[in-house]
Amino acid sequence: MADFFVQSFRMAMALIFARDKEVLSAVAISLNVAMWSVALGSVLGVPIGMLVALGNFPGKGAVRLVLNSLMAMPTVVIGLLVYAFISRQGPLGSLGLLFTPVAIIIGQSILATPVIGNYVLSTIQGVDELILPTAQTLGASNLRSVWQLAREVRFGLVAAIVAGFGRVISEVGVAMMVGGNIRMYTRTMTTAIALETSKGEFAFGLALGLILICVSLAVNLFLTIAQESRRV
Amino acid sequence: MSAEKYRLTSIRASYGRNLGIAVDELALTAGGLYVLIGPNGSGKSTLLSVMAFLKKPEQGTICFDGAQVNWTARECFLLRQHVTLLHQNPYLFSGSVSGNVAFGMVARGARRDTAREVIRESLAKVGLEGFESRAARKLSSGESRRVALARALACEPEVLLLDEPFAHADRASAKLLETVILALAAGGATTLVISSHDERLGSRLGATIIYLDEGKLDKIQDSRVM
Repeated sequence: MADFFVQSFRMAMALIFARDKEVLSAVAISLNVAMWSVALGSVLGVPIGMLVALGNFPGKGAVRLVLNSLMAMPTVVIGLLVYAFISRQGPLGSLGLLFTPVAIIIGQSILATPVIGNYVLSTIQGVDELILPTAQTLGASNLRSVWQLAREVRFGLVAAIVAGFGRVISEVGVAMMVGGNIRMYTRTMTTAIALETSKGEFAFGLALGLILICVSLAVNLFLTIAQESRRV
Repeated sequence: MSAEKYRLTSIRASYGRNLGIAVDELALTAGGLYVLIGPNGSGKSTLLSVMAFLKKPEQGTICFDGAQVNWTARECFLLRQHVTLLHQNPYLFSGSVSGNVAFGMVARGARRDTAREVIRESLAKVGLEGFESRAARKLSSGESRRVALARALACEPEVLLLDEPFAHADRASAKLLETVILALAAGGATTLVISSHDERLGSRLGATIIYLDEGKLDKIQDSRVM
């Protein structure tokens, strides 16, 4: 048993250091779609989180409930919904997006948005409530005041974006269902791990698994260093 | 007879946990020095927030410089160019002390290079010469309060509202604060409203004292004729 692990680990290392084309392709595709998804998720999630935190509007509680529920939404369900929209018979079928990286980006953005929104929401609710009125009473416009607030909570915003990244880089459901796991095109690290392991290619799966862990470690290490060195 | 700066009529306002205020009539003269006296929870902070155009009252009207306030976002923004409130526990933005002191000036359209001299002067007024490049969030609480005062002074507002500025001040800070307030009052260009629960403050400053009790105006007295 131990032998099996050791041997697989050796093979995984060999694959990584040999810069195996398929491994590299899966890593590149994963990072590419994750970055686009997080970018889109941030564009939507940060304003949503800020609006819910700062705004006073009817149905605010309902929006929070939806945000919270969406965080726990299984990735395959999101995949299913996106599939329904972009498949041939779906309303966006004519765009031919199914089984493309764009399809994965759409689905993963939907995954990332509520995570980022919720993190931003709780970050803003946790800060000093005088930030906005202080900026306003010093003569800043409402927009400038919100900008100042965002500056004050910038580490929380970065943490929110990293959490969104964590959600999308690790998911399989969306990538599998709407990406189709096409070799060198839509095969991400996670879908490759699922496929290769099911084929019995444990070493290949392990190699990708190790890279996946390293990527998330690197992202979090970067954040921690950035926070420690720039916090004033 | 100086012009009227504020006229509050039938104002009703509440603020979160704070008790609401119910002020039927209150007029403040331009360039006047007022001390708002009342126990904790008497509505001083709420009244100051309303006067700072940060909090829209639920009822009533306010006239500022003779014009009635309509409370649109745009109008509040424009009015806040003339009024600055120093909160009881002021918040300093992350970054340097000079960045904080410059904030109001820059927001009000001053250029950064012309701001430098004003920053230096404002910090000197509060006894913090040479603090420009210090990290604002790493100051002691006393120093933070002074920086916040300098930041408000740098705006050179027509109306300066100070919420319990003496509450946590040690003797030296209190003395300095009194000097700053009296200098501003003597200048005659700034209308000052200072809230406090110290009844003697009004007479020490020679101010008009407004007594507030459970959100209602109790009485108004000129300390100089008391």
